[in-house]
Amino acid sequence: MKISFPYMGQVQGYKKLLEFLGHEVIMPQKPTQHTFDIGVLHSPEFICYPFKVMLGTYIEACESGAEMIVSSGGSGPCRAGMYCEVHRRILKQMGYSTEILIFDSLKKHPIRFVKQVLRLKNKTPMIKLIKAFIYTFKLLPLLDNIDEIIKIKRAYEINSGDFDKAREKITEMFEATNKISELCGVYKKAIEIIDAVPIRLVDEKDRVKIGIVGEIYVAMEAATNMEIERRLNALGVEVYNVQNISGWLKHNIIPRKFNTSKSWKAFDEGSRYKRCACGGHDKENTGWLIEFAKNGYDGAVHLMPFGCLPELITRSIIPQMTSDLDMPILTMSIDEQNGEANTQTRLEAFIDLCKSKKKAKNEVYQEKKESHTVGV
Amino acid sequence: MDIFIGIDTGSVSTNVIALDENINVLFSKYIRTKGQPINSVKEGMAMLKEELDDSCVVKAVGVTGSGRQMIGLMVGADVVKNEITAHAAATTHFYPDVQTIFEIGGQDSKIIIVKNGIVTDFSMNTVCAAGTGSFLDHQSERLGVDISEFGDLALTAQNDVRIAGRCTVFAESDMIAKQQYGYSKADIIKGLCDALVRNYLNNLGRGKTLNPPFVFQGGVAANKGIIKAFEDQIGHEVIIPKHFNVMGAIGMAIMAKNQVEHSGQSSKFKGFDFINLEFTPKSFECTGCANSCEVIKVINNGKTIAMWGDKCGKWSSSI
Repeated sequence: MKISFPYMGQVQGYKKLLEFLGHEVIMPQKPTQHTFDIGVLHSPEFICYPFKVMLGTYIEACESGAEMIVSSGGSGPCRAGMYCEVHRRILKQMGYSTEILIFDSLKKHPIRFVKQVLRLKNKTPMIKLIKAFIYTFKLLPLLDNIDEIIKIKRAYEINSGDFDKAREKITEMFEATNKISELCGVYKKAIEIIDAVPIRLVDEKDRVKIGIVGEIYVAMEAATNMEIERRLNALGVEVYNVQNISGWLKHNIIPRKFNTSKSWKAFDEGSRYKRCACGGHDKENTGWLIEFAKNGYDGAVHLMPFGCLPELITRSIIPQMTSDLDMPILTMSIDEQNGEANTQTRLEAFIDLCKSKKKAKNEVYQEKKESHTVGV
Repeated sequence: MDIFIGIDTGSVSTNVIALDENINVLFSKYIRTKGQPINSVKEGMAMLKEELDDSCVVKAVGVTGSGRQMIGLMVGADVVKNEITAHAAATTHFYPDVQTIFEIGGQDSKIIIVKNGIVTDFSMNTVCAAGTGSFLDHQSERLGVDISEFGDLALTAQNDVRIAGRCTVFAESDMIAKQQYGYSKADIIKGLCDALVRNYLNNLGRGKTLNPPFVFQGGVAANKGIIKAFEDQIGHEVIIPKHFNVMGAIGMAIMAKNQVEHSGQSSKFKGFDFINLEFTPKSFECTGCANSCEVIKVINNGKTIAMWGDKCGKWSSSI
């Protein structure tokens, strides 16, 4: 069957899994202006931005002949839970017969979940299915780790574009790997490639670290957030993004009791400001901001789609958090109307702010150290 | 004598200033951009050149404003920075104890929160131009009142008129209605000033604690009606710097001076000769992918000297 999926995070991993199950994958395109335009055109006006972009991606996939679209669902107060139903209806109205298969909570609807897995299984022998899952669950964290390292090192890139080239090479290497046993070897090689990219050396105390939190889709997919990680890297700061696919899987698949994922820790930490989760990842995001402050980050960027209710709640407590945590936080609301010049100006000003705050901190620290030495 | 140049190339005005070593403003020019940033900068720099005698040496140049990238390249700037940092640098120099900076320019308006001389928070309008200078410009044209007389007229108002300031277009229809009710021009202008400040404080000041001293700068600070509206609404005196309309440029000159002195390198300034050179910006839509980025290139002497605007770096890295 010709299958497609939304473009978000490590698409290479999803592609591999579906190919193992004997499907033909219609690779979704990285969202472009065209995707945004057709998505916005066919969406309700005040729906969240991710809905619009996903619809655009689906329409593009339908046009390329996809017979089925696989995606994840949502539950709770956030509107993401009804995306699939509305997407389905809009596509039907537009005359596409493409089927949408949504993987919802295994706990709430176990039978439906298993039935859907069996549909996707596509007569693949059980042993091969298990192998395909193991392969994917091993691959995704490796890819996320690689990107995590790049987002730190790219801040010090000497020849612009080096890391992009390295990443392309790494994608090709993983593309050619189909055995579980080979993954670790390829990963090691990938790390070697990254380490070989020339970078500027910076003194530990001058390294500026910025954390990114936010609604999962706009935080994870660079094409929708105007490549914010790249922009920050270009301003010479390291970036750590809390949203990635392997983190999401770990958070959702392992039962809470045995789950040691950082996002659950952040969730608990978020209780300091929120008594309950308001939908999406709002409570985790609140917790992550606290974690950033504890770990000495110099600032954080909070991304939210325009009109995203859960993140709007987070946004409203950010002024309080900024003063409690003594860490600057910039909220950016994202939708199809965003102007690039304005975004760039705000990011630059924010980074200047973080840098001068760090400098002042360093000076105070230096003075203390000196006065201490004199005292001795 | 050593001099330091600051250029602020904004949407409405282009400002060129020169400082001496002790941060005294030697030269300051406020030029209406009229959609031609390159020519405005050339014009400003030509005037500066006339004023300077042979003993003057340009030690550093800093550029800010919406056209900063292109202009920075053209003049050979030592520092190119965003407007927020630039404004804060100037204000904290002249008023070291400032805590809140109001800046209203042509298309941008900002609130900058400062603590101990360091910017700790800021906000910038993102949604609408109803809290900016363009709004006033537009309405003054409608009312047939020159923008330079706008503020004085507002001070003569007899009545309070409440005009909806949420959106430029709605404000305009509200204004027309109020005109029909028979309010005088002065009353309506005061109403507009109040609406602008209310909108500005509501949009940008939300969730922020604004502490005195307040400094108000940007082109709109020339407007006495707006100053009065600010003082009424925040209930505190507002300081207007002497060079309120060129503070961004002053900030850049200060930063450029610091940068050059700190690094010990000589300035990248290309000299005043560029005034006679032809710089043509051209833009085209890239057809490489469906993003259709609008790519801008600057041509000098038939040679492309810079390109930007592409998401993938295909063009910008080709130079």
